[in-house]
Amino acid sequence: MRIVCAEKSLDVHLDGETAVLGDRRLTFRARRANGEIVAIEMEGHVIPLRAVREGNTVAIWCRSRTFDARPASALSARPRETGSLVSPMPGRVRRVEVAAGDRVERGQVVVILEAMKMEHAILSPREGVVGTIAFKEGDLVDAGVELVEIE
Amino acid sequence: MIQSLLIANRGEIAVRVARTAREMGLEPIGVYAAADADAYHVAQMDRVVCLGEGPPMETYLSIPRLLEAARQVGVHAVHPGYGFLSENADFARAVIEAGFVWIGPPPEAIDEMGDKVRARRRMREAGVPVVPGSDELAQSEEALANIAKQIGFPVLVKAAAGGGGKGMSRVDRVEELPAALAEGRRVARAAFGSDRVYLERLFERPRHVEFQVFGDRSGNVVHLFERECSVQRRHQKIVEETPCLALDAPLREAMGRAAVQAARAVGYVGAGTVEFLLDEQRRFYFLEMNTRLQVEHPITEETLGLDLVRAQIEVADGAILPEAWLSGKLYPRGHAIELRLYAEDPVAFLPRTGRLLAWEEPSGPGVRVDAGVERGSSIGLDYDALLAKLVVSAADRAAAIARARRGLAEWIVLGVETNAPLLDSVLASEEFASGNYSTDLVSHVSLPEISETPDAVWIAAALELASGGSARGSPASRAPEPWDEASGWRPGT
Repeated sequence: MRIVCAEKSLDVHLDGETAVLGDRRLTFRARRANGEIVAIEMEGHVIPLRAVREGNTVAIWCRSRTFDARPASALSARPRETGSLVSPMPGRVRRVEVAAGDRVERGQVVVILEAMKMEHAILSPREGVVGTIAFKEGDLVDAGVELVEIE
Repeated sequence: MIQSLLIANRGEIAVRVARTAREMGLEPIGVYAAADADAYHVAQMDRVVCLGEGPPMETYLSIPRLLEAARQVGVHAVHPGYGFLSENADFARAVIEAGFVWIGPPPEAIDEMGDKVRARRRMREAGVPVVPGSDELAQSEEALANIAKQIGFPVLVKAAAGGGGKGMSRVDRVEELPAALAEGRRVARAAFGSDRVYLERLFERPRHVEFQVFGDRSGNVVHLFERECSVQRRHQKIVEETPCLALDAPLREAMGRAAVQAARAVGYVGAGTVEFLLDEQRRFYFLEMNTRLQVEHPITEETLGLDLVRAQIEVADGAILPEAWLSGKLYPRGHAIELRLYAEDPVAFLPRTGRLLAWEEPSGPGVRVDAGVERGSSIGLDYDALLAKLVVSAADRAAAIARARRGLAEWIVLGVETNAPLLDSVLASEEFASGNYSTDLVSHVSLPEISETPDAVWIAAALELASGGSARGSPASRAPEPWDEASGWRPGT
C-alpha cells in the first residue's frame, strides 16, 4: 500500500514480521498492550510508539514527534482550493475590512479574526471583487466556513 | 471550621485544589458549564453543580450563578483558583457577604492591586521601586507624550486594568505614540471595560522574577522565595524555575523585603505574588501583584516541601502562619522547573483544537504532573489552552533540566498539537543552560530540523491502515487541519 506521511509517500508492504519500505526489507515486531501498539522493535531497538486511526488517517506518536499518515488514495479526498476565503480556525469576527463589490488585491486584509487573545489578519489569496460576505463583526465562526467570496 | 469547598474554576487548577481539599478531609465541590459537562475536572470532585448553559461570561464568570451554586450545596468556603473571577473584588465581596469563607485576599487588597496605575502609586509610597512611567493623572495624548520623552524610548503602552500581556504595545518613536494609545485603549476597553492606559519604560533584555508572599489575619507577612519567569511567548510564561540564577543572597533579600513591603502596604492576607522586573544592571522594579494563587506555584511547593493551597485554606480559616515561616527557618532545597504544555503550535503559538486521541503523562522520580485533561478530552477555544503542567525537582539545576527533558520525552499526546517541541528546545538551548537569559529567550530558540520519518512510523501506519481501524478513535470527530490555508497571519496586538 502507498502511504503518505509528512509530505512524502512510500510503498509499504507488510508480511508477518517482515516489512518492505520502498526497496528496503526489514524485520520488526509490534509490541501491543490491550491490542494497541505501544512499541515497534527493530534490530534489537525498542521504539515506543502510539498509533490511533480515525477514518482514513492514522495519528502516530513516536519519540516525542507526531505524524499523520494516510493511504495515498485518500489524498484526492482533500478539499480543493475554492474562490472563497475560509476561516482557518474557530473565532470571532473582529473587523470586516471590505464591502461587497470592493476590488481587492492579493494579500489585502479582508477580515480580522480574533481567537485566543490574538487577532489574525485573513488576507485575500488573489485579486478580485468581493462577493457575498457571510458574517458581520462580532459573529462567531467555526473553522472551515466561508467568510467572504472573492470573484 | 471549613468542611466543604466550592472550587469556582475548571481545568488543572480545579483538580489541583480538589486534591488538597481531599487531603484535608474537606469535600471538594466542583462547578461546570453545561457544555463542559464531560471536562476532566468534573469527574475529580465529590459533588458538582452545573452552572447552566452559556459561554464563560454566563457560567464560570457569573457571580450570581456561582453564588447560587454555593447556596445550593451549602458549602463553607469558596476557592477561586486562578484566572476567571480570582482577582475580581466584587466576587470576593459577594462571597463574603453571602456568609461563605473567601479563600483569597481581602477585596480591598484586590482592588488596590487590580488597578495597575493605582498600584504603582501605592508601591512608590511604600518605598518599593517601580518601573519609570506615567501615573493616573496623565491620560491626554500630550501629557503621555511628554512623559514618554522624559523616561526615554522605547516605552510600553499598557492597560491600567489589564494583565496577562493583553493590550500591551511597544512604541519606539514619539510619532508612533498616538496610534499605539488609540489601539491600546480600544483593546483595553474591549478586554477590561476601561480604556485607561499608562506608559512604562521598556527594558530590552529584562528578567521577570517574582516572589511568593503569604500573609495571615494577624498581620504577619512573609515571602517564600522567588520564581524566575522570563521564558515567555506573547508575554505569557511557558517555563518557570526556582531558584533564579540571577539573584545572589543580598539581592534576594532586598527583593524579598520589597515584596513583603508591597503586600503589607495593601493589608495582604493569603497567597499572593509580587512580580518584579530585573534589568541588566540587576536593578529591580515592581511590575504588578497577582492577588491569587499563581499558575507556577508548584515549583515553590517542590523546593520548600509545602502545600500552598493548604496554607491558603488554613489562613482563610483563621490560622496564623506556621512558626517556621515566621522565624525565617524555611530553606529551599534543590531546583524545580515547571513547563506549561499548551494546545498550540510551537512556531506561531496559534491555539489548536481537537480531541486528545492519546494522553499518557510522564512519571517517575521528581516528576509531578498537574493536568486538566485526559484521553478523550475535547480541546476548544472557549478556555485557556493550558493542558497541563510538568513540574520537576532535582538536587541541582542541571539534573532538573535533564529530568524535565526526560519527562517531556515520556509525554504521549496525540490528536492536538502542543508546544512540547518548543519547551524541549528551550531546555536544550545553551542560553537556557547558561542561566543567563531574559524575556527574549524564546525568540532565539530554534526548533529541531525535521528529520526523516522513522521506519517504525511507516510500519505502524501500515499496521493500523490494514487492521480496519482502532477502537479508540471515532471517525469524523477529528478537527480540520486548516493551518496550511493560503491566508496570512500576524500576531495580535
